[in-house]
Amino acid sequence: MKTSLGATMVRAGRRLLSSLPALFGVLVFTFLLMRVLPGDPAVFFASGPNAGKEEIEQIRKQMGLDRSVPEQLVFYLSDIGRGNLGRSMMTGQPVLKDLRERLPASLELTFTALLIALIFAVPLGVVAALKPGSVVDHGVRLFCALGVCVPTFVSGLLLIYVFYYMLGLAPDPTGRIDVFTSLPPSRTGFLSIDFLLAGDVEGWWAACRQLILPAVSMALFVIAPLARITRASMLVSLGSDFVRTARSVGLSWRKVVVTYALRNAILPVITIAGIVFSTMLGANVLVEKVFSWPGVASYALDALLSSDYAPVQGFVLLMATLFVLVNLVVDICYGIADPRVSIG
Amino acid sequence: MRFVSFRPAASVLATTALLLIATAPSQAQTRAETLRYVTGSAVNTLDPNIPGSTRESFALSMSTYDRLVAFGRKQLNGKWVFDLDTITGELAESYDVSPDGLKLTFRLRKDAKFQDGSPVTADDVKWSLDRCVTAPILGKAQLLTGSLTSADQFKVIDPLTIEVTLPKPDKLALPNLATVYPMIINSKLAKEHATTDDPWATAWLKEHTAGSGAYVVETFKPGEQVILKRDEAWNRGTANKPAFFKRVIIQSVPEPATRANLVERGDADLVVDLQASDVQSLEAKGKLKVISTPQYNAITYVSMNNQIPPFDNVNVRRAIAYALPYDDMFKAAMFGRGAPLFGASWPDGKPLNGIYPFQQPVKLDFDKAREYLKAAGLPEGFSTTFSFNVGQSSTAEPMAALVKESLGKIGIKVDIQKLPDAQMSTQINEKKLPFYTEGIVAWLPSTDYFYRNFYTGNQRWNYSSINNPELAEIAQGARFEPDKAKYEEAGRKLNAMHFDLMPQIMLWQPNQDAVMAASVEGYTYEFHRQIDYRDVSRK
Repeated sequence: MKTSLGATMVRAGRRLLSSLPALFGVLVFTFLLMRVLPGDPAVFFASGPNAGKEEIEQIRKQMGLDRSVPEQLVFYLSDIGRGNLGRSMMTGQPVLKDLRERLPASLELTFTALLIALIFAVPLGVVAALKPGSVVDHGVRLFCALGVCVPTFVSGLLLIYVFYYMLGLAPDPTGRIDVFTSLPPSRTGFLSIDFLLAGDVEGWWAACRQLILPAVSMALFVIAPLARITRASMLVSLGSDFVRTARSVGLSWRKVVVTYALRNAILPVITIAGIVFSTMLGANVLVEKVFSWPGVASYALDALLSSDYAPVQGFVLLMATLFVLVNLVVDICYGIADPRVSIG
Repeated sequence: MRFVSFRPAASVLATTALLLIATAPSQAQTRAETLRYVTGSAVNTLDPNIPGSTRESFALSMSTYDRLVAFGRKQLNGKWVFDLDTITGELAESYDVSPDGLKLTFRLRKDAKFQDGSPVTADDVKWSLDRCVTAPILGKAQLLTGSLTSADQFKVIDPLTIEVTLPKPDKLALPNLATVYPMIINSKLAKEHATTDDPWATAWLKEHTAGSGAYVVETFKPGEQVILKRDEAWNRGTANKPAFFKRVIIQSVPEPATRANLVERGDADLVVDLQASDVQSLEAKGKLKVISTPQYNAITYVSMNNQIPPFDNVNVRRAIAYALPYDDMFKAAMFGRGAPLFGASWPDGKPLNGIYPFQQPVKLDFDKAREYLKAAGLPEGFSTTFSFNVGQSSTAEPMAALVKESLGKIGIKVDIQKLPDAQMSTQINEKKLPFYTEGIVAWLPSTDYFYRNFYTGNQRWNYSSINNPELAEIAQGARFEPDKAKYEEAGRKLNAMHFDLMPQIMLWQPNQDAVMAASVEGYTYEFHRQIDYRDVSRK
């Protein structure tokens, strides 16, 4: 196991290197795309009651927009090389700092949502596959359809309305933590972990309560693809020779389903979970908006609407990097689930 | 990766189970002494002078910094609003204006201290005002409107006296010193953080405060929230007392429905930017205090570019002015919340007074509209586009639909164009939009200020791109007119010209709807259209 782990690491490193050209392409493409978009950010940001031509010119200079596009690109790339993603006009902070502060919020939310989704989707898919065409199967299908057809911001607002506004069960849907709770020292950036590390159970509970509604509204939306994939691959796996053999030798039903069928069926689920995770991270902008969640997606949307170039570029780069990493993790998980698969 | 992903798993499992049992919300004890204000936008800088600063940043700076003087307040239809005509001392204990109007002398309070404990001196005032007119910051353009342009105009007489010299007796010099930008900075502290590239410490002041204001910034998370702590030594409030609230939390909540929920549930104390429909339903429920003040320094327009055909023809502009369904638009866009600027009656056909904005005698009248179209040589109508900002779509979208429908009846084909905010600003700046809706605000709402800024010159705020030498001359002349009667006469003339030329069509002054807990008192409509946290208290 140990030697194979070492080999896996080497291969993983090689994989990361080979994705650098793709990242570079994303970098240049986003840069050009932002420049082609209509709208002059300098004019937008100079929209104070008295901002005239002089102020617009000054902002343009500050944003580096007074140079030609190729020149800007060269400056941009050399800045990136030095780990500088530029400065956001919106928040006035360096983009890197903004992203570093906001990424844990998005990750924490997305991980939680994905976990909730998996916890519901895998059993649902399995149950549906065991009795295809039955009432249960149709029930699962209906539930999935409902989850997918209700947009996240609608389910988010509904959840807020019921659990916060009507029942008063949930805390107020603003941000990651009640404003009156003092924060723990930031170690991982994940509040639910930092509170535990600080030994503050009350704070941990407050952070978790805050997390539930947004995570559930996101999870509802992605249960469908996960459950459908689980069902499909379970069906294939249940109908295969090894399951028939396992059954015929009289192994328990539980052992057949869980150990033999599910373990084989889980590979596509991992793949889809990886993809779902990457999409959720960027696409949860509506949930972040509804719950005032200080994540990266709502940050990028605000930046896009105000043509604030640096944060948008930084966000796309971050997403591309994460996508590469998630794919890598998926491949490694593959190797663990099925030792015949090795990454290369 | 494994560590990271599995801990939340455990926590989520536990919480999902516990959510069903545990319900008691943990309330901090300091709640009554804390003001929680929720807003759609965010504070993005601690120095409002930075280009790109938001309205929330303006409001924040009013409480963290003092200015030499401040606006008083007055009642308008039973509601408190800022009063442009009463200027009271803030850091200045008293001030004098010389008889010729060329010299303003400010005597500082002896007991005023910065938040680090050092006394406020005339040197700090001079440095701050110098910064405002010299550094490349927003204050420069603002102070220009009050003839404050150069550092030579500010002179330290003694440690507690400062003198401001004006080239001409400018009515707007003093009120300008009460606006957001000319805040008084602790110059010693700021200079410590100045660099050769940045002699006015703009970078440092963006993230730090060095003021003498009522509140100290405790935490500042750009784009999320700011927490303020009361400065106990500050005594420049009413009755020389510190501000009421011990803490102020300014939190960004982008979703308007959530803001409404928060204030209705009592979790937030105060909110100003709700959707009109939410305000109406909250008002109807009667649990909360709703104070609606027409923004008397703001106007919503339909603008026509007076240089682009066919809008360069005055009869086309008049035709449109008579073809807009004002009442329906006002109801659909604003739920009737605001002060209409249409449908006046001018008995002798002349403006009632010289105040701008004013109510114009226009109303929906298709016959008149058709006549004007015929007079313009376009009896069959024409095609055009009507644009608005995505950011304003909740009010502009229903309005645009009504404009399209109504103009269609006199043969004008309208294409609705919904533009992203940055794109819209760019096109307005380049004067490319023929027909659109926009809103404006003036901090110092005097008639000549409006006409000079919004109806003259080739700058962005001249939305209609009107170029009328006579109008420009009257507006410029009125600026330095000391005689009140003559000023009023100039205002009447300008208003009559506005109605005659119809460069753009004034629609209404939107309401500022402040919704607050029943216990919150003292709310005042401020020139920056945000809350002054020093105004409010709890019963």
